[in-house]
Amino acid sequence: MPETLVQIEQKAPRGDWRDPHVEFRKGSICYSAAAKNLGALSLPNPRAWQPMDADWKLPPDWKRIVLDGMKERLKKYRSFRLFMDICVRCGACADKCHFYLGSADPKNMPVVRAELMRSIYRRYFTLTGRLFGSLAGGRELTEDVIKEWFYYFYQCTECRRCSVFCPYGIDTAEITMMGRELLNLIGCNTNWVLEPAANCFRTGNHLGIQPHGFKDSIDFAAEEASEITGLDIEVPINRKGAEVLFVMPSADYFGTPHYYTLLGYLMLFREIGLDYTVSAYASEGGNFGLFSSHEMMKRLNAKIYDEARRLRVKWILGGECGHMWRVLHQYMDTMNGPADFLEVPVSPITGTVFENARSTRAVHICEFTADLIHHGTLKLDPRRNDHWIATYHDSCNPARAMGLLEEPRTILKSVCRNFHEMPENTIREQTFCCGSGAGLGTDENLEMRLRGGFPRANAVKYVKEKHGVNLLTCICAIDKATLPTLLEYWVPGVEVAGVHELLGNALVMTGEKERVADLRGELFAPEAHSVGSASEASHA
Amino acid sequence: MSVSGAVSEIVAERWVERTLAAYPAEILPFLSGEHDRFRNPVGQVIQESLTTLARELLGAMDNRATAPAIDALVRMRAVQDFSPSAALRFIFDLRPVIAEVCGEVTPQLESRIDELALMAFDRYLACREQIASLREKELRVRALSPAR
Amino acid sequence: MNEIYALLVVLAIAAAGLAGGQMSFGRIALAEVIPYAAAILFLAGFCWRIMRWAWAPVPFHIPVTCGQQKSFRWIRAAKIDNPSTQWGVLARMAAEILLFRSLFRNSRAQIGGGWLILSESGALWLSALAFHWALLLILLRHLRLFLEPVPAFVNALERLDSFFQLGAPPLYLSDVVVIAALGYLLIRRFRDPAVRFISLFTDYFGLFLLLAISVTGVLMRYFTRIDVLNVKELALGLAAMRPQAPQGLGPIFFAHLLLVCALASYLPFSKLMHMGGIFLSPTRNLANNSRSRRHINPWNHPVKTHTYPEWEKEFREKLQSAGIPVEIAEGAGDAGNARTN
Repeated sequence: MPETLVQIEQKAPRGDWRDPHVEFRKGSICYSAAAKNLGALSLPNPRAWQPMDADWKLPPDWKRIVLDGMKERLKKYRSFRLFMDICVRCGACADKCHFYLGSADPKNMPVVRAELMRSIYRRYFTLTGRLFGSLAGGRELTEDVIKEWFYYFYQCTECRRCSVFCPYGIDTAEITMMGRELLNLIGCNTNWVLEPAANCFRTGNHLGIQPHGFKDSIDFAAEEASEITGLDIEVPINRKGAEVLFVMPSADYFGTPHYYTLLGYLMLFREIGLDYTVSAYASEGGNFGLFSSHEMMKRLNAKIYDEARRLRVKWILGGECGHMWRVLHQYMDTMNGPADFLEVPVSPITGTVFENARSTRAVHICEFTADLIHHGTLKLDPRRNDHWIATYHDSCNPARAMGLLEEPRTILKSVCRNFHEMPENTIREQTFCCGSGAGLGTDENLEMRLRGGFPRANAVKYVKEKHGVNLLTCICAIDKATLPTLLEYWVPGVEVAGVHELLGNALVMTGEKERVADLRGELFAPEAHSVGSASEASHA
Repeated sequence: MSVSGAVSEIVAERWVERTLAAYPAEILPFLSGEHDRFRNPVGQVIQESLTTLARELLGAMDNRATAPAIDALVRMRAVQDFSPSAALRFIFDLRPVIAEVCGEVTPQLESRIDELALMAFDRYLACREQIASLREKELRVRALSPAR
Repeated sequence: MNEIYALLVVLAIAAAGLAGGQMSFGRIALAEVIPYAAAILFLAGFCWRIMRWAWAPVPFHIPVTCGQQKSFRWIRAAKIDNPSTQWGVLARMAAEILLFRSLFRNSRAQIGGGWLILSESGALWLSALAFHWALLLILLRHLRLFLEPVPAFVNALERLDSFFQLGAPPLYLSDVVVIAALGYLLIRRFRDPAVRFISLFTDYFGLFLLLAISVTGVLMRYFTRIDVLNVKELALGLAAMRPQAPQGLGPIFFAHLLLVCALASYLPFSKLMHMGGIFLSPTRNLANNSRSRRHINPWNHPVKTHTYPEWEKEFREKLQSAGIPVEIAEGAGDAGNARTN
């Protein structure tokens, strides 16, 4: 008789999702926020603790705090109350979550993520739940539930893909945001969210770069852009009376490959002679407040309008960043507006009135550039990007909170000649998240990020194999920070770049010196180089 | 040894079944039933890799086919919530599957399975090391940040 | 266990109806009292739920956009999936409510062997849509019991519904569709482990209840051949607040009636309120125009910010040494405090 292997039953059915127990393992969780960061933001319950600890040192009346917090938010947000009430558990959202697809953990089904909260809502805030308890789908609020919330609400990137498929438009991002707000009330936050927030609050940007450091970084980029082009490129800082305040995510001037995108912006602004300034005070477009609470979002976002008012600019131009644009597009005007001290944005080059930004007075750089290209005001040599075979990753927020789909594509198709879309059900409004958004993009959480990023990487792999794609372009700072790691693991050989980096490569500037290499210092493809250098750089 | 493609298909099918059984029951029908490779990347990687491996195991055992198949599968299992033994268990599931389909596991197949197992060990370790080095790399970048 | 409890409760309701229908006291309760109680619960509960949602403000403008935004004239905008006008929103909501647009996104229809094959998720869309439309048709058909004379459109719907003229009385398509669709939705809950995993008592209860109502209705019409005139007499009496249960309605009718009353009184307290809630969903019923029109948050509380003067005060020396222009005159007083707006 052959050795009948001892068949250990491997099948691990979760059985009942109402069991709140979760196991915190290093590598797939984010660490707790340091007490000093809570202190800097005057948040409750600063202390030393870690999610792996048995005792989370919650305040003695934590349960009352959470339930009161829920009650308050149910009154203040129709989205919250409605989404607690109307889910029919049809399951349409189940296989739409990248974390569910990558981790195969049934509790990552968006519906279950929401049920973790709904079960508490039903138990404490509905008649049937109070009368019938678990039969009505209610659960007791215990410390284990808090731990489970922490685990799963910091395992959601608020990408809203599930919401696209929900017959009632239930938005898991709203539920995750509420969950995180409630956790914040009892001091259960992650450092990767709160440290950038605390830095941003104090110095103006997530990285905590102080004004002189900011100037150094910007000057360095300006010098490099000057060197590449042979032109004199300077970047005004805190200059009053400029027409445009340019706001970008801080990663653009301190991270790679973001930095090349910054070079692209600077070259563009120089070429069109844009009258602009950047600000050392509003030196962050991103907003990690979005990942902790609405209040924090407002506190951090206030700087942008305040600075625009102080500098007496006419309108605001925003760089490439996903969640920054969620805030600028859907929250800023409501929270910190009205922007009546600004003017309706008009492109100084083409005269285009940006009607869609009539009230907020903030224009996305891709809108601005696409308009320039459409009017033929830029001289572009797409052959300078011939060494790239590009695809485009729709970043979640520009795709599902704005619908900024064609503007970046318009730019890409004008600045590079090799462009291939990923499969239809992985782009545009159905785009797969990078798996690292909403404050999950830290190294200690890498394994979870690799799981969550797998569906995206899988589509990249497909176009790499099919078309030889070697560049993933995107317009999100978190993408640029985290996708290189993800692709190095899943699809080695594919780099990540911002759309304006490719623009910077292709942009033929008036009086520029002969360029032989792209912004990364990599030589142009041979024929592109000869053609590029031969072309007389001149335009009206 | 010449075993027809039909046998390798049956082996692959049962092997996939066993491998999928390690995932929670709730997601099983989706993993095995959804054939869009973009909707169901995990299921498709398992399906494709195991089909290739079964074909090679009972066929030419060409390293150019087995290596990428092992890599794709192990790469994925190395980041999922498995212990190392559970992550690589699928290789050892081959023995009962082949015994079931072919009646016995020939010494040649035994040694081929061992070979696959060793390859998988190598890949698994390489993946875990890569994860560690990627983490380290991210940490280094973070350390450059002036805030710290 | 949830499904068993749900089934038991539904069976108990049906049994109560059957038993009550055999007793004169029961008939009076079932036909003359309980329907009013159910109607009151339904109306009051429904309004209360809607009001409670409506009273909660929509502080932020959070539509989920599913297509190209309206930016330039030369970029074609997705007017319905990413509406920028109220008309677009109306179209989006109509597509959502009448056609289950978002649910349809799940499905991929494939042509296989000359047949249109819907995937599992496509079947969900189809059966959900079929169920809701058939239910609407059935409800409208029931108007004939409450209205005298019977409106022409009700007669027309009936003719349409019995288009095939099968059997006597002619078979209503909606009866077949509603039972088939409910059956599928129920089987799906049992069979798909992912859906089973998330299903609660209320999910099974709603399905069993609707199924029991449909089955008792079908039994009355096609098998026990209830006299519709008797039912109409009762219905008109109820509508006129002069309820009187006529003889000869049969126990199944009372079971049907009690199940309907149970549904009506349960609905406002359950997920079945999604029928009202969908109209209020802020990710669907707002135009994507948050940059062109300011959305007002009624409780826009002031928050503590780090103001420019505070910031400049802290970094003044560094600003000056870096050559960044400063704002505040030398020796000016303390910087401002909390932002109030």
